[in-house]
Amino acid sequence: MSSLAHESTKPEGVFEQFETLDQQQDTYMIGMWAFLVTEVMFFGVLFLAYAVYRWKYQSIFYEVHNELDLLKGGINTVILLTSSLTMALAVRFAQLNDKRGQLRMLGATLCGAFGFLVVKSLEYSAKFQHHHFPGPDFRWEDPTVPASVAQLFFSLYFAATGLHGVHVIIGILVISSLAILVARDHPLVKGDYIPTEMIGLYWHFVDLVWIFLFPLFYLIPK
Amino acid sequence: MAYSTPHEPASFHAEHVTPVATLLKAYAALITLMVITIATALAPHYVASEFFNSQIGSVFNNLVAMTIAVVKALIVLLIFMGLRNGSKTVRLYAVMGFVWFLLMFIVFADYGTRQWEPVRGWEPIAPGSMPRQRGSSEPDIERTPAPPPLSTIPGP
Repeated sequence: MSSLAHESTKPEGVFEQFETLDQQQDTYMIGMWAFLVTEVMFFGVLFLAYAVYRWKYQSIFYEVHNELDLLKGGINTVILLTSSLTMALAVRFAQLNDKRGQLRMLGATLCGAFGFLVVKSLEYSAKFQHHHFPGPDFRWEDPTVPASVAQLFFSLYFAATGLHGVHVIIGILVISSLAILVARDHPLVKGDYIPTEMIGLYWHFVDLVWIFLFPLFYLIPK
Repeated sequence: MAYSTPHEPASFHAEHVTPVATLLKAYAALITLMVITIATALAPHYVASEFFNSQIGSVFNNLVAMTIAVVKALIVLLIFMGLRNGSKTVRLYAVMGFVWFLLMFIVFADYGTRQWEPVRGWEPIAPGSMPRQRGSSEPDIERTPAPPPLSTIPGP
């Protein structure tokens, strides 16, 4: 009988299975974090493979990494960090129920995501032109560096940044869907900041992966 | 308890709204750390190489780059992702992801000890050589008689 008494005093918007609003919102966050844990594992194997071969071929990796475009990588780092800031601001505006500010910040985040992909595609096309994509077309001129290890480095580079790029594309799809829902005052997102915060967590995770990819691939010390 | 929360029509109010100033400070810190990490990586013979031999210098340089990356990650996790204000359960989940990730590095116990228990295809390669193909008719590597002294373990 006590459960009936609880329900009658529950605040509006709290579902049947939860006691309080705090508990309900915690559940959303835990669900999102559980997903992010699987993402950590997903990227984790790539980082692990990288660590094994970097340990084995440190000096060769140093030579090969000079082929990467540090300027473009740096620009992409700034773009992603900035879009992470605008996403955090979008969550803040959503919490304050400021629809215009939220939409602006989501738009800025989307611009950052597109900018990242543009710079990344320029980088990739240069790699394809120089035949640095691993496979039958792979060519390596420097005789002092074993071609097989150079190809290994580029395999890791394309696997890691490619998977990260796929996550950026998914981020664009998810953030733009959210922006459309917010703009239309859809009941899923109206007056509720949780969807924005969960998508924000995803976007910050994409930023987090790049924070490690950037020094590991572009800034290998001698 | 929160049972006495006043009715708010279909409105979810956030308890922890991060101030704009905090977010901007975090962003400034992230950009500064990025500039530092690029600057240190571009100076090939900075601090470490001046005082130590090249191998220790390489380890030191790697440590600097990774420490900066971890600090940046912590800033993103704590402030942007709101773990600072998160509940204990949410924090536990976040920590578990990275604990599992670190557990994966136990695999180095295998790779690090292969010189004592040689495995086909993992011998040092000569410049310009291709990785050995599966099913090749090359003879098996002979087992090394005794483990080498600790000082010969290759560094990074």
